[in-house]
Amino acid sequence: MNTVLRTVKQAIWVGWKVETNWADPFVFSIYYLIRPLAGLLIVGFIFIIGSTASGGQLSPEYFAFMFIGNSFFIYVSQIMMTMSMLIHDDRAHYEVMKHIYLAPGSLAWYILGRALNGVMNATVSLLLTLGFGVAVFQGLMNVQIPINWSGIDFGLLLLNLVLGIVCFIAMGYVLCGINIMTSKVQFMLTEYVSGILYLFGGVVFLPEILPQWGQTISSALPITYFLRIMRYAFLHQSPSVVEMDLLYLVLTMIATIIVGFGVFRIAMYKARRDGLIDKKEEY
Amino acid sequence: MQVQRVREQLIHNLRAAYARLWVRVKGGNREPQWLIAEMIIPILTLSAYIYMYKTLEAPPEFTGFVIIGGTMIAFWSNVLWNMSAQFYWEKETGNLEIYFVTPISRMAILLGMALGGIVNTTLRATAIMVAGILVFQVPLVINEPFTALLMFFLTITALYALGMLFASLFLMYGREAWHTANLLQEPVHFLSGSYFPKSLMPDMVQLVASLIPLTFGLDGIRQIVILGKGFSDVWIDLVALTVFIIILLPLAKFALDYMENLGKKEGRLTLRWQ
Repeated sequence: MNTVLRTVKQAIWVGWKVETNWADPFVFSIYYLIRPLAGLLIVGFIFIIGSTASGGQLSPEYFAFMFIGNSFFIYVSQIMMTMSMLIHDDRAHYEVMKHIYLAPGSLAWYILGRALNGVMNATVSLLLTLGFGVAVFQGLMNVQIPINWSGIDFGLLLLNLVLGIVCFIAMGYVLCGINIMTSKVQFMLTEYVSGILYLFGGVVFLPEILPQWGQTISSALPITYFLRIMRYAFLHQSPSVVEMDLLYLVLTMIATIIVGFGVFRIAMYKARRDGLIDKKEEY
Repeated sequence: MQVQRVREQLIHNLRAAYARLWVRVKGGNREPQWLIAEMIIPILTLSAYIYMYKTLEAPPEFTGFVIIGGTMIAFWSNVLWNMSAQFYWEKETGNLEIYFVTPISRMAILLGMALGGIVNTTLRATAIMVAGILVFQVPLVINEPFTALLMFFLTITALYALGMLFASLFLMYGREAWHTANLLQEPVHFLSGSYFPKSLMPDMVQLVASLIPLTFGLDGIRQIVILGKGFSDVWIDLVALTVFIIILLPLAKFALDYMENLGKKEGRLTLRWQ
């Protein structure tokens, strides 16, 4: 147990160093704010411009729906990016994968530590984005965001966050498994997974507007329930019963964990058998 | 004698540019999964934005705006990752020093990369646009195809000239290259009005956006292709893009020379894992 904890702790520390020590903390914060904030500005302006062009009123409820969805999607994009890139970086770029593999701690726990560092970075981004998002849209552009910040159901928010993060990390293990078996697909994998979850996960629009097959995909994705519960925790409104959403989130989480760790274990077995642990890619 | 030498140098550099173009085209298309991914992934994001407009019941031309924006973003991504950050990758793989010891201009290398990138990205962008138009049934109203082609040509030239300038700046970067390229994605998508017309953005944002060539290119192409307008409506965009090209190309050459000298002095041209 001590070895596991030490591995996770050291991996978080290494991840933090790798992600941050190229810049001073101020520059790092700016980098981690600007990209998600720009993503929020894109959907915010689509909302304002689209509403104006349609001749309708700005709907604060829809804005809040989109604001929460887009902001919490940061966890998905950050975890996918971290977990998809780390195999490539450690194996081909910095060539340290073989050393990590030989160390007493398991590679799976090391990956978990790196993923948790991604969660920490995502939390920093989320808090900055929420703060600046409210300041820009509510403060500068007079778009009302009907969120009662003191009335947030923090218990539900925390529970949902833990379940969601476990889900996303399990998905990340699938990406690690695929990356260890392949070469140079880390960028496209991140984009594929993030793109599919963004389109079908009900991030910026209700999945009910999708064609029937799209709605089916949406109902199988844990992010759909994660975001519904998150909106309930903030806005206290949901198109469905929140207990049912929690149940679906737990069920999809269990399925994701089984698939995630199954794929990862098979990939590690094949990687060891085929000598892919220290594979080089021109670096 | 002098003319003969200039001619030989020109041919030499053109050959180098062609060689780099060939590598880029061959390398960019040898993996079918990359080709497919580069066509499908942008459609996922732009579909999400189109569904947002549908939720808001915005007029149908907004769907066209998003598709044109998503198509042109393919070029911006190529400029960022395969032009701007390219010297960083080359440094990491050990190719950069080979480029620098060969008796050709660095601009010839950049020209080859740019032309290869244009060929590759045009293939992908066409697929994105055709798929978007077919799936979402966007009507195109092109009254002046030559003006559309001119606008496209100037936009691409200005974008790749900016890419050449960034390439020289990225020459000195270590891991910052990766983060900087990442940073220049969504903010530029937002500022250039990739998913909505720039004319509907606040004045202050439009002012900042006018520093990016993509803003003018997108605006012009949308007006010609979606709204059916002509030369008289988009001449300002054409002039702005021409000015960008006139400024950016010599600036890229100057920056490249300056950064190369600086890199030599600081010993960073062959430094890996910064």
